[in-house]
This record gives sequence, structure tokens and C-alpha cells, in this order.
Amino acid sequence: MTQHLPAIIIVVPLLSALLVAVFGWIKKTICFVIALPAMGIVFLSSIVLFYKVITENQPIIYFLGGWSPPVGIAYNIDHLSSLVLVLISGVTLAHLIATRQTVIEEFTNKVSAFYTLYILFVTGLMGIVATGDAFNLYVLLEIASITGYAMIGMNSGRAYLACFNYIIIGTIGACLYLLGVGYIYLVTGSLNMLDIASILPGLVDSKVVPAAFIICMVGLMVKMGLFPLHGWLPNAYTYAPSSVSTLMAPLTTKVMIYVMVRVALYVFTPVLSFSVIKPGNGFTWIAVAAIIMGSLMALSQQNIKKMLSYIVIAEVGYMVGGLWLGNRMGITGAILHIVNDAVMTLCIFLAVVSFSSYKKRDKLSDFQGAFKEMPVTAAVFCVAAISIIGVPPTCGFFSKWYLISGGLAAGHYAFVAALLFSSLINMVLFFRIIEIAYFEPFSDHHGKKHHVKIAEASPGLLIPLIIVACMLIILGLYTDELVTHVISHAIPAEIV
Amino acid sequence: MKKLGLIIVLICGSLMLYGTIDFPDWADPSSPASTHLSPYFIETAMHDTAVPNIVTAVLADYRGYDTMFETTVIFAAGLACFFLLRRFQRRAPDVNLFRHMPTGITLRIKKGGKVPVDSSEFERIDSIWVPYDLIIKTTCRLLIPFILLFALYVIAHGHHSPGGGFQGGVILGAGIILYAISHNLRAAKARIKERFDAYMCSAGVFIYVGTGVLCLLMGANFLDYSALAPLLGTDPIMARSHGILIVEIGVGIAVMAVMICLYYNLSSAGRQDEGL
Repeated sequence: MTQHLPAIIIVVPLLSALLVAVFGWIKKTICFVIALPAMGIVFLSSIVLFYKVITENQPIIYFLGGWSPPVGIAYNIDHLSSLVLVLISGVTLAHLIATRQTVIEEFTNKVSAFYTLYILFVTGLMGIVATGDAFNLYVLLEIASITGYAMIGMNSGRAYLACFNYIIIGTIGACLYLLGVGYIYLVTGSLNMLDIASILPGLVDSKVVPAAFIICMVGLMVKMGLFPLHGWLPNAYTYAPSSVSTLMAPLTTKVMIYVMVRVALYVFTPVLSFSVIKPGNGFTWIAVAAIIMGSLMALSQQNIKKMLSYIVIAEVGYMVGGLWLGNRMGITGAILHIVNDAVMTLCIFLAVVSFSSYKKRDKLSDFQGAFKEMPVTAAVFCVAAISIIGVPPTCGFFSKWYLISGGLAAGHYAFVAALLFSSLINMVLFFRIIEIAYFEPFSDHHGKKHHVKIAEASPGLLIPLIIVACMLIILGLYTDELVTHVISHAIPAEIV
Repeated sequence: MKKLGLIIVLICGSLMLYGTIDFPDWADPSSPASTHLSPYFIETAMHDTAVPNIVTAVLADYRGYDTMFETTVIFAAGLACFFLLRRFQRRAPDVNLFRHMPTGITLRIKKGGKVPVDSSEFERIDSIWVPYDLIIKTTCRLLIPFILLFALYVIAHGHHSPGGGFQGGVILGAGIILYAISHNLRAAKARIKERFDAYMCSAGVFIYVGTGVLCLLMGANFLDYSALAPLLGTDPIMARSHGILIVEIGVGIAVMAVMICLYYNLSSAGRQDEGL
């Protein structure tokens, strides 16, 4: 059965989504019971795939429908995609367990519809990463987007508007990507990524290729929320139900950056991306702007979720900038940061959900005394915070180190300065929260101090949270292994 | 701000036009799109899949995996509509309206009042001004069976002529929606219940995915219909043709059910008590 693993990681969640949709009508609690083993199987299969790719040191190619590419659709699982597959399935598994209670509270009588959309969303993301076909990627992007829009809109108040904005902007982004694929198809006649990559270098003189490149990239930038095109992101993540924003914030933007890496390195090939079309310098400057503006806007927020959303925008800038530095160090940093940032974002968003488990804490001032009430969540929050700031031995430090080294090697000092500036801002942001939550006295209106009782979140939320926080340190300690055995193989050899 | 937007749009538009300079000419037989893969499909589709309609062969077999996810997109869209719009809090109306069919008198029955039992003489209506619509109802009653029949023809005939699961499913759904419009939402829901419709949504996609899994269990790759030959009692090439029909039927069911789900939720703002 192991040769069918690339199909299994997609088919198992797809089937389980359909089962949840049917059996959820009959019994609400069964949704989680179906979803959990399905995600478990996906996680295990991804690990096996990852292991196989590393040990055999060659990509696994799977022909869907038995048709070999370019006639049919093929899955192409190499070092890069298997790493991101493990990341997505792991993040989802932790998130699924952690938010079990929150989902029941937030979607009382629509739990089955929610879980169906949830699993389809993850299926879409897994498919985007596994696929080796440029059009198939778009179809799966549609699945991930539509389910994402629906989940974001399912909250009262401003969620509708945020969801509507996201639908319009996100659809434009996806359409631009599709248009770019159409341009490529016009000049190559193929949709398979490997096939396109073998044809495109012969078309360096065509004006269609740069046009297709720019259109694809702009579409992806919209979907990942890179700075001037980030309009949808802060509101969508702030006003979405907390069980949704905690899943989408770690995964959506990171998967889109994966797609950008994939398209730049494996569709347009490094020759076209870095030597012929050469958007690198411009894109890195956009990333610099994203990092600085994201950080500054995060500084001016009073709502914690919105502040974190702007940090996500700054982090998108890190990865895009690292990729377009065009050297091995920078791209290593970008790919490493995809992994690290997904885990960090998951950790910090889940910690915020945990803080809100008894009383709603949205504003920064609501955090007074939170650390005394929830010591474990506070510890996890601090680990995630220092990882985002970039303090060793947490993983955030190492990817930032690679990014800064890449910036220095490329001589792009503005990018280096922006990274350092953003780290400083993050430090201010998180120490402000820590100060409010730990040091500020909290009292009732008469100036009398409350007797503080420890009121931790439920163990169902705490245990995954602690595991994720440990992962931050483990990832940091094993950075070297990750880079030498996985990421260095994921970058084409012609990039130095 | 508007002017700035216009300038940006103009610049982007002209850049995109500039990018199209090197496009191959319209209908150029030597363009890459018509020389790279298309000849393979034109020459071998019939030989590979025993399906005369090349579009169907590409759509449901060569690139059947895309089509599976397109069906899933439709499923997700229907589900999203249900998820966002459906409101379960049922507020019983203060006044129920019943029309006595033979005399045309409308009864207003307040909460707690006696509701007429004999349903053949009384008809529940949503507002006082619902007109008599004998002509509309009769015409639709005559039309709907033929619409549904034509839909089945479109699904089944996708192998030979334009058609297939998506188109046929939309026509099927349109037939049911016509029934709902010509009568009312309650009448349509009495025929096709919400829960049954939800099951159909899942079942349609399930047929598609299940066919693929069956191929997997028979030892071939996912969605490789030729592995179904022993089950269908045909040769592998004919099995591909039958496999395409099976998944087209799945697509048809899913599309029809999603159309109905969309109409039920959109026409009643998710309350599903009274329609348009």
C-alpha cells in the first residue's frame, strides 16, 4: 500500500469529510470521532512519505488515474513538499484536538457542517502542496479558499464584512494565478510543472513568460497577504471564530508562500526566476516594506488578535524577502521559516484562545492578571513570544539567522535592517503584554485586590498547547539536521 | 483615490496587453497548445477510453482528478451556503393563512386557533395576496417530467455529445427549483426534504471518490477505471468508459442536490419556512 500513500493523504480526509457531513446529521459528537482518526492517518502517512523521500533521496511521483504526465495529473512529492505535508498535517492534528471544546461552543448546531468544511480545507491545502500540476493546484486552491471563506464568515458582527472582503480579494488573487497558468499554457501547451519547467527555458525571448510570471506572483501575493495587498487579512483573522483563525493563520499564508517557492523554483526554474526575469530586487523591497509596515501597524493595535495578524503580515515579508534574495542562505531561511512560523503562529494563537477560555480577552488591557490565573498558558505564551522575537534556542532565532545571513550575502542591507527592526518591535509588543499580564496590579472598582484563583484551560487544550510549545524548542535544536537533510535538497543545485 | 485606482488599473492593463504581443495567433494550428498535447488526445482518446467525445474523455478520465475536486468545490459551496445562512431557531408565525380552495376564502388563524385538517380543500399560503396560479401550476406540472427526463439524457449522453454530469445535474436541479417556484417552498420540501438533500450532496461526491477508492482497492492507481474491468465484466478499455459514466452520475447527483440546497437556503434567507 505504501506506493499509494500520495493518494491516501488526500483521499482519506476527503472521504471522512463526506462521512462527517452524513453522520453529523444523525449525531453531533460523531464528527470529532471521525475527524480525529482521519487526521491521524494523514499525519502518519505524511511522516512515512517524508521518511521515504529522505532515505531514498528522490521524489515520489504518483500518476493519478494511471496516466503518466503530461497527459494526466501527477503528484510530485519531493523534499520540499513532504516537509510541508508533515507540517500541515501535524498542525491540523494538534489544532483539531486543542479546539474540540471551542468548536462545540462556537458552532452549537452546525458542528457537522463546520467539521466537513474544516477537513475539506485541510484536504485542499494538502493537495496544493502535493500536486505536480499547475492547474490541479488552482482547483485545490479553490477548495481551500471556499471552505476558508465560509468558516471565517461564521461569526457575528464584523465577520460578515471581513468574510466578504476576503471573498472578493481572494477570488481576484486566485483568478490572477489561473490567468498566469493560462498564459503559460498558451506558450507551452502543458500544465505539468516538470514539463513546463523543461520547456520554459527555451522561451526566454517570449514576452509572454515574464507576463505570466508577474501575474502568477501577484495572484499569490494577494493570497498570502503581502503588504500592499494584505487588505483582507487583519479583519479576516480578527473577527473569524477563534477555532478558525487559529487554523488559518498558521496554514493559509504559509502554504501560499510554499506555492510561491514551488512556482519560482520548479515551474519557472531558477534560471528564469533569478537571471532572466530578475524581479528579485523589487520583490525584496516590497518585502522590506511589508516587514516594516506590518510591525508598525502591529504596534498601534489594541486588539490582541489584530496585533498578531499584523505580525503575520510582517512574517510573510520575512519569507518572501528571503526567497527573492536568490541565494541559498536566503531561500533556506525562507523555507525554514515556513515551518517555524506555522508552529509559532499556531502556538501563540492557541495560547490566546486558551486565555479567553473563561472570560473574553480581546483587548490588551483585558490581560491584567491573566498570568496568575493561567500559569501554564502564560509559560507557553512566553515561549511562543520569544520564538517570534527570535531568541535562541527557540526555532524563530535560527530561521531569522539564515535570513539575515542571506541578506548579508546578497548585500541587501535594507532587508537585514528591516528584520532587526521587526525583531525589536516584536520585543516591544510582547513585553508590553507580558508587563500588563504579569506586573500590572488588577483590582476591582474599590481598589481591593481580588483573591486570585488558578483557572487553567481544559487539559484537552493545554496538552496540545504544551506539545506545540515544546516543538518550538525541538525545531530550534534540530535546525541543523533539518537544513542539511531536507532543505538543502529542496533547493535546486544551480542556486548558490 | 479613485483617480489613483484608475491610473494603476490603466498601467496594469497596458502591461498585460504588452505581455500578449507574443501570443500565438488565433486558431493557429502550429501553436504550442495545439501541438504539444492535443494531438495525443485527438488520436488516442477513442482508443484509450472508448469514449467518442474527447472533451468527456479528458475531463473525466485523463484529468478526472481535477473533475473530482471540481465536484467537491460545488459540494463545498453548497455546504458553505448552508453553514452561513441556515437558521435553526424556528419562530412559529403569529398568524397562519389558509385558503379554502372551492370558495377562495382566506382564513386567518391566530396562534392557538384550530387549524383546518382536511388538506385537500385547504391550502396553506404565506401571504394574503397569493394569487390563484392554476395556469402556472399546470404548465409546470406538464413541463417538469420532461425537464427531468432531458436531464437524465444529458447525463447519460455525455459520452457522445455535449453534456455530462455538471450540465445534467444543473437541469435536474432546475426542474426541482421550478417546482418550488411554481408551488411553494413547503411543497418542494415535502418532496425533497432538507436532510435527504444533504445526503444526496454527500452521496454524489461519495460515488466519485468511492469509484477512485475502488480502483485503489483493486490494485491500480487512484481513479484508474481500467481496474474495474473484472467487476464490470468488460475489457479494461470499456471499463474506462463505464467508469466515466459512473462518476458522471455521481457528479449529476451532487450538482442537483447542491442546486436545491442553494435554492432552499437563499430563497428563504436560511429559515426554510416560506420561499420566494
